[in-house]
Amino acid sequence: MIEYIQSALLIIAAFLMIVSAIGLLSLSKDTKHIVYARIHIVGLFDIACIIAMIGLGQYLLAGIYFILAPFTAHAIANAYWKKEDKEINVDLMTVEEEVDENHPFIHPKAKIQALESENSEKLKVDERFSVTTIEIDEGE
Amino acid sequence: MDILFISKYIVLIALVIMMLAALRASAYKSTSMGLLGSSVVVTAFAVGLLVVGGQYNIQFYRDISLALIFFGFVGTIAFAVTLGGEDK
Repeated sequence: MIEYIQSALLIIAAFLMIVSAIGLLSLSKDTKHIVYARIHIVGLFDIACIIAMIGLGQYLLAGIYFILAPFTAHAIANAYWKKEDKEINVDLMTVEEEVDENHPFIHPKAKIQALESENSEKLKVDERFSVTTIEIDEGE
Repeated sequence: MDILFISKYIVLIALVIMMLAALRASAYKSTSMGLLGSSVVVTAFAVGLLVVGGQYNIQFYRDISLALIFFGFVGTIAFAVTLGGEDK
């Protein structure tokens, strides 16, 4: 009976490995964020390896790999994000803002900044606002 | 033929396919993909050693497999930290 369970686990593991191999190869090179997608697929392969280890009776090794595998995936993703992804996709760091120009309450950030800047045309023209400073002498 | 014997060989074939896929994927331009591919190849090789060692009753294959998994992990983490650089 145990032999059948072991065989079933190994066949499931083999099936998952082949699925992950197909997934790894079938992703197009031009896909956006392909490295993260491939790291995700390798996660499936890791689980397939763990199932295979359980099927082979190596429970301790399976437990160790179950703990270590996510650290590996995270380290690779983190390294890619910190170094290469920021260099290749520079526009990742800029957030696109879609605000309707005619909206009564919500205004684009750039428009507000232009209005608030010291060189703003509107502030120069508009003389209703004035800035005064009061000097307080503590000696008096 | 024993079903366990057949399933072990099916796993070995799947591992070889996965190794080839990982090698192909590691040829991608990014260094991280090379790191990922090498990590997959090392893991696949370790599991393959486990299968062969269990089939032909070779005890030290299990120790080699444990060493590969553990030191493969350490190497991947070390290389990833070096690749990522310091926090700004």
